[in-house]
Amino acid sequence: MNFFSNILGASGSNVDYGDTFQGLWESTGFFNLQWGNVVMIIIACFFLFLAIKFKFEPLLLVGIAFGMLLSNIPGPVSDWIYHPDLWVSSTTVDYGEVLQTGGLIDILYIGVKTSVYPCLIFLGVGAMTDFEPLLSNPKSLILGAAAQFGIYVAFFLAVCFGFSGPAAASIGIVGGADGPTAIWLTKALAPDLLAAIAIAAYSYMALIPVIQPPIMRLMTTKKERAIVMKPTRKVTKAEKILFPIIIIIATCLFLPSVAPLLGCLMLGNLLRECGVTARLSDTAQNALMNIVTICLSVSVGATAHFSTFLTKDTVLIIALGLLAFVFATVGGLGIGKIMCWLSKGKINPLIGSAGVSAVPMAARVSNLEGLRAKPGNYLLMHAMGPNVAGVIGSAVAAGFFMAVFGGGA
Amino acid sequence: MADITTLDALIISLIGFAIVFAVLIILMCVVTLMGLAADKGHIITDKLPRFRNPFKKKKAADDLAAADGTEAAPLAAGTCGELTLIRTEERDAAMIMAIVADSLGTPLNQLRFKRIERMEDADQADAEVK
Repeated sequence: MNFFSNILGASGSNVDYGDTFQGLWESTGFFNLQWGNVVMIIIACFFLFLAIKFKFEPLLLVGIAFGMLLSNIPGPVSDWIYHPDLWVSSTTVDYGEVLQTGGLIDILYIGVKTSVYPCLIFLGVGAMTDFEPLLSNPKSLILGAAAQFGIYVAFFLAVCFGFSGPAAASIGIVGGADGPTAIWLTKALAPDLLAAIAIAAYSYMALIPVIQPPIMRLMTTKKERAIVMKPTRKVTKAEKILFPIIIIIATCLFLPSVAPLLGCLMLGNLLRECGVTARLSDTAQNALMNIVTICLSVSVGATAHFSTFLTKDTVLIIALGLLAFVFATVGGLGIGKIMCWLSKGKINPLIGSAGVSAVPMAARVSNLEGLRAKPGNYLLMHAMGPNVAGVIGSAVAAGFFMAVFGGGA
Repeated sequence: MADITTLDALIISLIGFAIVFAVLIILMCVVTLMGLAADKGHIITDKLPRFRNPFKKKKAADDLAAADGTEAAPLAAGTCGELTLIRTEERDAAMIMAIVADSLGTPLNQLRFKRIERMEDADQADAEVK
């Protein structure tokens, strides 16, 4: 300050240029730069590179990485867009204060905090999902349940590593391979882990073509992988319309806590199938889905501030998330093998690994492995059954955790 | 219930996994029953004609009337819009289109399929050659 004052003070001006330039300098990112900012900016750029160059879940990863970049730019930039103190370490959020003092991301984050975004994403997913493969082969639901094995293995391991019950449940749900479900549960049970869990969930979903095939080859013989499955029966329009209505009634009677997620999923599907709401179905699938994806990805990414993200817990979450995915695949393949044996070789066990609910990535991987084992062995339609069953399965698992740790909220 | 022991975690895991299985098995039964009802529905309506869907009946009558009309269908059976399906079921065509889109890395809505035709089976083709 003295340096500037000495130079400019001699001019006789009333403006204190020293203070002005000092204030200007102190407001720059360079002055406020910390090592954590640099690390997070590098990580954000790496995620952008993965999303743009290798197309790893680009629709979400671009937004998440950019949100991360914005909130970790040092200095007042991050003060104008996101205030972690408004959200973390408080059981009840003062939304009045959020609206008065919050920045752009704070406003967008309201949708995450109130579970609006995950539910709206499920509405779009429901409108985009054809449940016919599941309806034509109801046994797919067993494979969808088996693939939730990873959730509970990761939950148990997380508790062994010292995480609290709610945090362990949020980590375990990564094994469901379902981003909206993971976000929905984590924001309620362990909001401080939201960024790490969301990034782990979406990163591993993008890496399914890398994670699953070695396990699939390890657990199945070439003869099993080459099994050609018979075409499934045709499903009537009435079944498709009744399915979402019956499922939501049946499921919510057992686990009311899944109502927000499954309710939106089934509403979206009903809009698609009922035949009289084509415009609404189109909006849910496209415009609404895209808008919510932008808001969700940017606001979740922005929560990855270095002060909460660069911790030992994040490394553990990433490692446990990988284990969750591995055990989910093992669970699905294990039951797939049992069903193959019980059906005397009519069911290809590869479709079991599609029970992780990353739609349609996991089904595509099963299809590719089937084709590798025997050219012309297209398993896509058969694998889509367990794949969409996995969406329901992971929502049920999340509902169970919510009932246990969230007081049934 | 913030901090739990490993034993608690094990029990919660087992119960949770069992509940997921139970709920999805119940759903499987419901879906199977729906499928059975759909499959056996026509047997009931064949035996008891008064339970036939009046809308379906009307549609069938409309279709018959249309078939008797002068406007002959110019496209092959199973044709959907501009896509001509020859000896190919709609479901197979949908799968083929999805696989082509995936292989090309191009969204399905940016591709235009004009005709999907099932070629002769390999065995038959060999027999014809011989």
